Amino acid sequence: MEKMIVNFIVNDEPVSVSVYPHETLLRVLREKLRLTSVKEGCGIGECGACTVILDGKAVNSCLVLAASAEGKTVTTTEGLMRNGKLHPLQQAFIDHFSLQCGFCTPGFLMTAKAFLDENPHPTREEIKMAISGNVCRCTGYHQIVDAIESLSSEKREQVIDAIEDAAGRLDGGEQECPAHPIKHTH
Amino acid sequence: MMRFHYKKAVSLEEAFEFLSQNTDKARILAGGTDLMMDIREKTGYVRGMEVVYDISGIKCLSGIREKAGVITIGALTTHAEISRSPVIGKAAPLLAKACSLIGGPQTRARGTVGGNISNASPCADAATALVALDATVTLTSLKGSRQIPIGEFLPGKEIFEPGEILTEISFIQLKDTETSAFVKLGRRKALAVSRISSAVILEIEGGIVTNARVSVGAAFPVQRRIKGAEKLLEGRWPDDEAIKAAGREAAREMLFITGERWSTEYKEPAVGTIVERCIKQALVVE
Repeated sequence: MEKMIVNFIVNDEPVSVSVYPHETLLRVLREKLRLTSVKEGCGIGECGACTVILDGKAVNSCLVLAASAEGKTVTTTEGLMRNGKLHPLQQAFIDHFSLQCGFCTPGFLMTAKAFLDENPHPTREEIKMAISGNVCRCTGYHQIVDAIESLSSEKREQVIDAIEDAAGRLDGGEQECPAHPIKHTH
Repeated sequence: MMRFHYKKAVSLEEAFEFLSQNTDKARILAGGTDLMMDIREKTGYVRGMEVVYDISGIKCLSGIREKAGVITIGALTTHAEISRSPVIGKAAPLLAKACSLIGGPQTRARGTVGGNISNASPCADAATALVALDATVTLTSLKGSRQIPIGEFLPGKEIFEPGEILTEISFIQLKDTETSAFVKLGRRKALAVSRISSAVILEIEGGIVTNARVSVGAAFPVQRRIKGAEKLLEGRWPDDEAIKAAGREAAREMLFITGERWSTEYKEPAVGTIVERCIKQALVVE
């Protein structure tokens, strides 16, 4: 079979790679582009370890032919870091002990990233549904849900803080409120 | 690893042309969630395949339209798009529910409704809902289009003539007097393949069921309407007794079609219960 050239954008960089028509995106990302955060778990779209973001959507790269990625945009966990700093999601996973062996982690990160981009303030139940296509055999999932939730609630807390600051300024500053006007709920 | 060529369709016309000339050699790639598995497992479906023909870029095959009460869904519309569509949420909530329970989010982002019913696994969830909706499937080729009721279309694969593509699926939206539900039973809560699925549409006037549509998937070789169960519900108040009888009828029909199997002891009551549950959800009593 003849090789073909595929042009696409990977982690903000335009890339041209020569691929066989039968090669999966997973294989090309790992073996040709050396983006080894993309893991092969089951190879049949059940475990989510190979999840990448393709044109804004979390997909299993084991079920995508590399040839079909022509002209598309792919993000892997390598593309999450900015200026040598971890992405807030990566930091949240560390802070909440959301990984043990780490094999499933890049897949969870990409699923969570695509999900939070679409739904920045999800409920815990929505988070559980969002990660239902990713399997983790170490953590028992709670810590992963905690990490994702912490980002959504952090954002919410920032909004609440801003409202409280504004309310405080209206009240004339340091005055203590008799009853806290806003309850933090999850 | 299977070897093959890859070709991407640039237009629908080109696709018709190409597929009519390469019927035996080409297999259509839409979302790839089934085809990529076939390739990996080297199933009979991909035997003799020389080229994967990618139609995913044909824009006119994607999207949901409503016109004069008829809903038309392009074959390349993904499960995620259907499950989140406000049009489907109102016109056919059972289909939105069915599509929201297919695979995981990654599968729903790629998998298409046309692929789901063309591949026509007995456990294809969208098919169970579309059978209850009396959907019509449109197959198009260079020669033109033909429309086939979904009940005759399933089980998919064999019905295609050389060069034909499933282009759209249409059905009449539910009336204000109709209520619906979809329920599936898998081996686990998430990312599960249906072992039994059921879709129900009930038209209710003055508390009486005037028209019932009950379909069951996965427990049969092909998703099918359970006419006997529908008759037991029609023309009466849908009380517990009627609902139980409809469930028992679905189980009886399964036994009649598939015969006694090792799983019968479990499946017979389970089919009845899933159908009952689906009827109750449609009635909003569960």
